[in-house]
Amino acid sequence: MDLPLLSALFLWFALTMYVLLDGFDLGVGALLLAQRDQRVRDRMVDAIAPTWDGNETWLIMAALTLLAGFPRAYGILIPAFYIPVVLMLLSLGLRGVSFEFRHNSVTSRRRWDIVFAGGSLVAALAQGLVVGGLLHGVDTDLDSFGGSPLDTFRPFCLLTGLAVVAGYATLGVGWLHLKGDDATRAFARRHQRWLPLLFLGLAIITGLIAASMQPNLTASWRNHRIALSLCLLAFTACAPGIAWSAGRDDADDRIGFGLALAMMLSGMLALGLSFFPNVVPFRLTLWQAASGASTHEFLLIGALVTTPVVLTYSAFAYRVFRGRTPAEGWY
Amino acid sequence: MPELDPLILARIQFAFTVSFHIIFPTISIGLALFLAIVEGLWLKTGNLVYRQIYRFWLNIFAMSFGIGVVTGVVMSFEFGLTFAKFAQLAGPVIGPLIGYEALTAFFLEAGFLGIMLFGETRVGPKLHFFATCMVALGSTISAAWIMSANSWMQTPDGVAWDHGRLIVTDWWKVVGNPSWPVRLPHMLLAAYLTAAFFVSGVSSWYLLRGREIAFARRTLSLGMGASCIVIAAQVFVGDHVGSTMVRYQPAKLQAAEGWWDIRTPSPTPYLWVIVPDQAGQRNRFQMGIPYFGSIWLTRSLTGTIGGLRNTPVDQQPNVLLVFYSFKIMLALGMTMFTLAVISLWLRWHGRLYSARWFLRVLVVMTPAGVVATLGGWYTAEIGRQPFVITGMMRTADAVSPVPAATLLSTLIALACVYTVFILAFLIFTLRLIRRGPAGLPAHALPSGSLKRGLRPEIAGVQPYLAGEE
Repeated sequence: MDLPLLSALFLWFALTMYVLLDGFDLGVGALLLAQRDQRVRDRMVDAIAPTWDGNETWLIMAALTLLAGFPRAYGILIPAFYIPVVLMLLSLGLRGVSFEFRHNSVTSRRRWDIVFAGGSLVAALAQGLVVGGLLHGVDTDLDSFGGSPLDTFRPFCLLTGLAVVAGYATLGVGWLHLKGDDATRAFARRHQRWLPLLFLGLAIITGLIAASMQPNLTASWRNHRIALSLCLLAFTACAPGIAWSAGRDDADDRIGFGLALAMMLSGMLALGLSFFPNVVPFRLTLWQAASGASTHEFLLIGALVTTPVVLTYSAFAYRVFRGRTPAEGWY
Repeated sequence: MPELDPLILARIQFAFTVSFHIIFPTISIGLALFLAIVEGLWLKTGNLVYRQIYRFWLNIFAMSFGIGVVTGVVMSFEFGLTFAKFAQLAGPVIGPLIGYEALTAFFLEAGFLGIMLFGETRVGPKLHFFATCMVALGSTISAAWIMSANSWMQTPDGVAWDHGRLIVTDWWKVVGNPSWPVRLPHMLLAAYLTAAFFVSGVSSWYLLRGREIAFARRTLSLGMGASCIVIAAQVFVGDHVGSTMVRYQPAKLQAAEGWWDIRTPSPTPYLWVIVPDQAGQRNRFQMGIPYFGSIWLTRSLTGTIGGLRNTPVDQQPNVLLVFYSFKIMLALGMTMFTLAVISLWLRWHGRLYSARWFLRVLVVMTPAGVVATLGGWYTAEIGRQPFVITGMMRTADAVSPVPAATLLSTLIALACVYTVFILAFLIFTLRLIRRGPAGLPAHALPSGSLKRGLRPEIAGVQPYLAGEE
């Protein structure tokens, strides 16, 4: 059995779970900047309060899978994206703390909201910088990163950063539309009309620029043209779908968020296929970067046993807090 | 501007993030067990004071757990940020260990901490007690994995070289490497001592002020009772840690004891103050207690030990740092031992709650466990230098190819953000302590967020919702 391939699939799975789950609450966090009404802001935060903690689990899972299964790649990629990674970690930390402190008092709540929203925005942007750097390709020098830490601030990477922010915001408005009270839902629907289209536009521009810049990427696209065409079709169809459902009063609440999830999932599939079989694009394949078979065996046994447990709990937590967010919050 | 050395900056950054992180798991491992015991006592006796003790310490536990999680996320990336070459070599070995640790810890955070913190009104008392026990068990299991990973770096086993890579040949030997069976209990006992002196210090403060008498007496009784048992075990386990070190990492113990001589004089004094001269391979000044070195280290009146000159110069750790880290830990451990003995004597004479001088000492000793634990970790980690994996990889060869200026700027950013964390933790903890257990709400508020301990209803701030409309 091809163990490194299984580990790579698990890595993709953990990353995708992270993007889908933490994506919507980072999106809601960033959207606070677009909402002036303090009461609606409170409702928005309440909508993600019960479940956001668990969502970050998947990020750690992904990082440790990379460390254990593909140590050469871990040792190249983390230094390559040194600045965005540190930015992301600091933002996630500040965000976590301000989430708890924003309730302290009426006077400082606004300030904590700014930290919370800023933290969410910067974390999303930093993750987008990493995606841009990966699409651009990573310079390597034997087993080390061969470029400069500032490579990550290429204009192209800033574009992917914006695309990721737009994508997370699309997830975020979908979630608010599903979970919010009337004022929050009205806010969400207003933004659902244009955010998915912006995300679509940014993603397509990103793809075009990436294709003109990185021949390995176009080669990889030719290899997977059928699967990628399907991803692109799904991705493109979802965006107007969300905008359309936001304009109709009789549309099911779940459509907007469901389509946003589908959009993100097809995006993650497309990214995965574009890089496959590279784990350091476009220098190292997953087999070149893989650790010994004994490590993959041990890692995969643990992953296979614990992942169902984690999934079960996550599903249970979401079930406990199903339905609209109560007007007085969960507390 | 002087030339910045990436190696030093990487070491400072890693040391800073990991030192900051370890404080919080240490507190929460100890408090988790304390909470399980207290809740068990409450279920058994029905005495409401136990419930009050549980509710009070639960909040502080939740806060330290929360900060432990936030700073723990950083650690999973620090290997790559600062020591990428180490990650590339050792990732196949310690990666899965930490992976298992994260999975176990997060499973328990997600599954049982929620019930423990907010489930009081939603599940029965027995299921709630079960949840508390699972959190305590889970923190112990998670400590077992991370100690296994760190002990493997101290005493690597179960691996083979294969074209410059490490291949695991035996996972049992990796997980159960030679120093793990003694270092794991050493760390767990350290966490229990930290919690015991923490709760004893806070309850002594209440007793000195004549506040919360019933609560404080019972907490102090439990805290000092636990200290007596734990410190007795720690003396025994600590001794075994020492003998494991002699066998596998002699240079670390040589540095920790501060001797340079190939053979020490007979009888050997036990050194407490030295001014080492690393370049000259000698001490400029040294002061110790006569005979005690021989008695303690060789169990005889005249025995001698080998000093650091037995270790090649290029394999020696920094004596100044290792020696004083170790002596701080040892001195605090001995103070805790003495206080535990005195507490037994005072208890015997019925004066445990009234001997004001003793209570004052305990207040001062509130953070002693944290300081001693850090001292122990500094001994272990600096004592392993110049290796990052003993005998296999030097720290200097492990560092990430990141420019010094980048490392410096992120170190400053990390320091600023972590200052916010520690200030918030201290402010909220002190506020909780000042308010006292009587200021708690009558029952747990049903909620969802796992880091609820940081929330105002519990921390004693007027919830904003009350003032709205």
